[in-house]
Amino acid sequence: MAKKTMTLNLSDEEMEVLERLCEKKDLSKTALIRQSLRLYQRIEERLEKGDKLFFEHEASKEKAEVMML
Amino acid sequence: MTSDRKPDVTPVGLFDVAGNRMVDAELWDAIAEKNLADWEAEWIPELFKLLQALNRKGVERRFWPQSRHWDWRDKMKAIEGRLANQSFSIVCQDMTQAMMTTDVTKRAQIASQKNDHLVYVDFLEAAPWNRREMTQMPPRFSGAGSILILAAIEQSKMEGFRGRIGLHSLPQANDFYANKVGMTDLGQDAAYQNLRYFEMTPEQAEAFIEKGRKK
Repeated sequence: MAKKTMTLNLSDEEMEVLERLCEKKDLSKTALIRQSLRLYQRIEERLEKGDKLFFEHEASKEKAEVMML
Repeated sequence: MTSDRKPDVTPVGLFDVAGNRMVDAELWDAIAEKNLADWEAEWIPELFKLLQALNRKGVERRFWPQSRHWDWRDKMKAIEGRLANQSFSIVCQDMTQAMMTTDVTKRAQIASQKNDHLVYVDFLEAAPWNRREMTQMPPRFSGAGSILILAAIEQSKMEGFRGRIGLHSLPQANDFYANKVGMTDLGQDAAYQNLRYFEMTPEQAEAFIEKGRKK
């Protein structure tokens, strides 16, 4: 599949977070940003349907709603 | 992902069981309108014939093909435009022989790769005439399921997920994923209709690829 290249402007802080996440997840910057875009699209789709996004603690089953910006 | 674009085609081979020889086939990186038309016009009538035969023989429903309610047109509509989903199909002799959809938003569960990204196989189905358990007869072509699993592994590598894949298996396919593909069986998943969850590590992916090379 054909791909396009773009320049991404990030602050030092943002770049630091990106690099840390890439190291942690063993992913390239491109892979991590592509993954982020997919998740953003999926979340947006669910919110548009009226769904809410929650995190649930695996052990305690405690739920916390994520505030969406 | 569903799209109007022409699928990228990779040459592959299927085993023609009756002819006892390999035949040329194509792996498409999409499920296109042609595949859905084949499913509607060829797979479904064949499936109905098989269900009728099983029913007339008095075979219990639990032994009927467990994917018989799958509607591929609905499945493709549900993931239309989603970046996280990819679809694949295998075409041989101008007929769709198998189809698969994948999702890259799921995380791994095996302790050694807990929370790492993987390619999750949402749905994988071979044409009715290629399924031994349904026909009690030799399939027309064999190898389609393995080719699609290899495609999922390849997608996982391209995404930087090192070959990690995961899936929930219908009971009739448990043996295939556990023994032929060599995935780890993590047991029944109460959160997913009690289907067994299987996962593949990068090492298992390499072993599966190597097994394919030796054939």
